[in-house]
Amino acid sequence: MNGPFALFKWQALFTDWTVFAKGFLTTLLVSVIALLLALVLGILFGIFSTSKIKVLEAVSRVYVEFIQNTPLLIQVFFLYNGLPHLGVVLPVMLIGILALGIYHGAYIAEVVRAGINSINKGQLEAALSQGFTYWEAMRYIVIPQAVKIVLPPMTNQAVNLIKNTSVLSIIAGGDLMYQTDSWSSANLYYGPAYVVTGLLYLALCLPLATAARNFERKASQVPESDSEDKKLTYEEDAIA
Amino acid sequence: MKKLITISALILTLVLTLTLAGCSSKTSSASDEIQKIKDRGTLKVGVKVDVPKFGYKDPATGKISGFEIDIAKAIAKKILGDENKVEFQAVTAKTRGPLLDSGEIDMVAATFTITEERKKSYNFSDSYFTDGVGLLVKKASGFKSFKDLDGKTIGVAQSATTKKALQAEADKQGLKIKFSEFASYPEIKTALTSGRVDCFSVDGAILAGYLDDNTTILSDKFSPQEYGIASKKTNTALAKAINDTITELRNSGDLQKLVEKWGLK
Repeated sequence: MNGPFALFKWQALFTDWTVFAKGFLTTLLVSVIALLLALVLGILFGIFSTSKIKVLEAVSRVYVEFIQNTPLLIQVFFLYNGLPHLGVVLPVMLIGILALGIYHGAYIAEVVRAGINSINKGQLEAALSQGFTYWEAMRYIVIPQAVKIVLPPMTNQAVNLIKNTSVLSIIAGGDLMYQTDSWSSANLYYGPAYVVTGLLYLALCLPLATAARNFERKASQVPESDSEDKKLTYEEDAIA
Repeated sequence: MKKLITISALILTLVLTLTLAGCSSKTSSASDEIQKIKDRGTLKVGVKVDVPKFGYKDPATGKISGFEIDIAKAIAKKILGDENKVEFQAVTAKTRGPLLDSGEIDMVAATFTITEERKKSYNFSDSYFTDGVGLLVKKASGFKSFKDLDGKTIGVAQSATTKKALQAEADKQGLKIKFSEFASYPEIKTALTSGRVDCFSVDGAILAGYLDDNTTILSDKFSPQEYGIASKKTNTALAKAINDTITELRNSGDLQKLVEKWGLK
């Protein structure tokens, strides 16, 4: 009756279920707020990078490239252990929200940019020729079409964001992964601990991933003249 | 929805299989296990590589040395007749349990505190070293004793028994303290330097390895922690060989010599 999955280890886990519940709630809270931040940043910088104003485009480029090409772990570690040396001590939960929001904001910015670019230029030109201003054309013609294309990869980003909250465990973030590490390394009942934690992450991510697949199916069903281009674009996004 | 049910069912099956496999872990006869080590010709030992004086890998030479390394060599000598027939593998608090379970290593000598809870999963030898929980703080912080840490955050290692020990002491003295747990000692030290935690607390002898010009160890020491060598629960013959070696080392006075050699206490 021994081994990593022995029965008494499962019993210990269910006795201490509040530890996991606490971690789960923290992960959920950080995920939701970080996702909102990522959406705001992503949409803003996504539109920036397709705008005609060179400065905005450059700012967006720098943001996206810098964030996408450094590991999230280093960004988190910098916020946690670097900033205090400059006199800024942020609470751990805020670090999680900022780091994840900014990190996935950069990816969402690229998704949004690709979505806007996938709409045939002729549509914007046609709208402008009909007397729409640039922003009106965006608002009524381009963005409503882009949304359909952007939704599946955006949802994938949400899934990734949730999974990435686990990096908070290295800075004592109190998230689900941290609580699991803490609990299971004290009593060494790691077997059930990581299985249950994996299932909890699955419970958060699977519905989103399923939704993403549904969005994808719906988007590909729309019969349009340029549907061929569209399909290509978002399939690339899904891979990226 | 149907898919969801199918997936859930699959996961449930997987978990159950794992659990059952865990329960029915076959108990091959104990002497076979020792024979396996003899056939292999090396004793595989999990040790710390980031704890100066206990198990530390010198970054310059790549050599691992320390108090626990010497003990492991003594056990290798007992079982295999040659103290060099030992293979060291770096373990952390998180990896040492799984590595034992999977049979990747035969035993763990890695500042492993003996607890009742852990004894349910592994065989522990008698204690070969006893140490109290110590407190390392920045000199600049001006903390003089445990009482000064009221309301502060203390950095501890995951898997260490420090948290429990300090919490008990804090309750006794009526203090409120918070904990941040980290996976490794260097991470706690970094967090202390950056001011994330106000105090770095682990077992005193380990702490001494992290002392530098800017930090000091407070005189308070709490709840003795007993280190034991862990081996697989089913492998009772190995556990006995380990324990015999520890007893011999203690009776011959060699254990005390090793303690002095490494400047512990």
